[in-house]
Amino acid sequence: MPSILVLDLGGCEGCIASIMNSYPKLEKKYDLYISYLGNLNLDREFDFAIVSGPVSLVSSEKIDLLKKVRENSKILVAYGSCASVGGIFLYSKGQNCRFASIGKVVDIDYSIPGCPPASRTIINFLNCIEKKGGRFLELFKALTKYQKLSGFDLIDDVVLTGLCVGCGACTLSCPTEALQLVDGVPDLIVEKCIRCGTCIVRCPKFTQNILR
Amino acid sequence: MFHDVNLENPIGSVEGIYVAKPKKVENAGVVTSILLYMLENKKVDGVVTARKVKGILGKILLIKTRDELLNTVGNCWSVVPYTMKLKDMLTSSNLNKIAFVGLPCQAQFLRHMKTFPLVESDFANKIYVIISLFCMGTFITDGFVKLIREYKISPEDVKNIDIDKDYLVIIHSDGEIKVPVDIVLNHIQHGCLLCPDYTGVFADISAGRAITKKGTLLITRSKLGDNIIKKASEEGYIEVESASEDEITKLKEKALEKLKRAMDYTAKLL
Ligand code: SF4
Ligand code: SF4
Ligand code: SF4
Repeated sequence: MPSILVLDLGGCEGCIASIMNSYPKLEKKYDLYISYLGNLNLDREFDFAIVSGPVSLVSSEKIDLLKKVRENSKILVAYGSCASVGGIFLYSKGQNCRFASIGKVVDIDYSIPGCPPASRTIINFLNCIEKKGGRFLELFKALTKYQKLSGFDLIDDVVLTGLCVGCGACTLSCPTEALQLVDGVPDLIVEKCIRCGTCIVRCPKFTQNILR
Repeated sequence: MFHDVNLENPIGSVEGIYVAKPKKVENAGVVTSILLYMLENKKVDGVVTARKVKGILGKILLIKTRDELLNTVGNCWSVVPYTMKLKDMLTSSNLNKIAFVGLPCQAQFLRHMKTFPLVESDFANKIYVIISLFCMGTFITDGFVKLIREYKISPEDVKNIDIDKDYLVIIHSDGEIKVPVDIVLNHIQHGCLLCPDYTGVFADISAGRAITKKGTLLITRSKLGDNIIKKASEEGYIEVESASEDEITKLKEKALEKLKRAMDYTAKLL
């Protein structure tokens, strides 16, 4: 069975908890290594490493850990908003609080935002990998080029550039109701944006653009 | 698996292509008939679709009964946005199997949400079936209304709109007018000019006007979509026949036209 390492680098562990919800399904097809199971062993090779949480740029320990995971895994997935697009940690201030999406430190293969992604996401992602394709897999690959994505980018890159068609996918996707349609286009209530990136990866204009 | 458009195949993955006519309720339209079949046979407990409110403007509704459904009028030729209100309606209702009708861009978004719920507030498990209407693009409403007023047509009188090669055909209460596409292009949303998908490749069922004969063209893309069409026909809600080679060729031509337009404009605008 293919092996999967699931590791949180310092997020809220919500992503791990959501993966644990799928454990009964996952264990039928994969060997899982998760701290919750008490079998975390970083000295072996993995077919997949699913990493959640941001990387602290002031912790050489975390940086080294991440690099080691990269070396030991065939496919590295940045899972959840913090690991993939920075998430709410990008707001943190102070000399000792420098966080980044993990793509800033190592090369990643797929980037899946979500805060936290619902349990079904990991299963469907692995299914897509197994079937080798699909547009959404390409999307998660294309997202690895971005170190940050949020409602701010949606406004800048889609709305202010005049590409928005007013479909409402972003407003319907936002978990905090930070986006509202005003005169048919989205407007961002900045204080409410947790930088989860869901709105922009659901925006048909953004995705058509990065997949063209 | 749902495949994206490309130059070899501009209509995406296909399970079956049919031409259908309404049967049970004569003046209902094929999509409405399919929805009616699903509601009356409890395949879904709700339908989210756009209703024309005024002129070319529409509103998204959550429909639960036959009467509500038959009172909604179809196409709006403007994107009818999914709003936060819709989310409130969906999350607060006890409806759990919903049919969504939208445009290709909305079908893509819904499929993404259904397959990859990225946040707990996603209502992925309520999306039962996704139906997409064919789309050549939508208008910047203010500009378009001004344009048709110049032709002495009031938006309230617009009955149907279709693109026929170099002309936009606007069918209104007193007849029809043809507006050269060059003029119309200025009033199509920029985002739509970049959109490559005519039929809605991420839907379970795509529907639009048939080209070679009277009727509605249906493309099914999943087993679920195909079963719905077959059952709706068995139960006498619609009359279905396989689309002719000629019809499919013409459909592909039209889809290719949109894809090429998207490629041209992508080179120009981005
Ligand atoms: S606007 Fe909403 S969906 Fe978009 S990044 Fe912010 S919180 Fe997430
Ligand atoms: S998802 Fe994109 S195109 Fe749709 S309303 Fe939001 S910004 Fe506009
Ligand atoms: S042309 Fe594309 S983006 Fe525009 S409304 Fe139609 S499906 Fe949506």
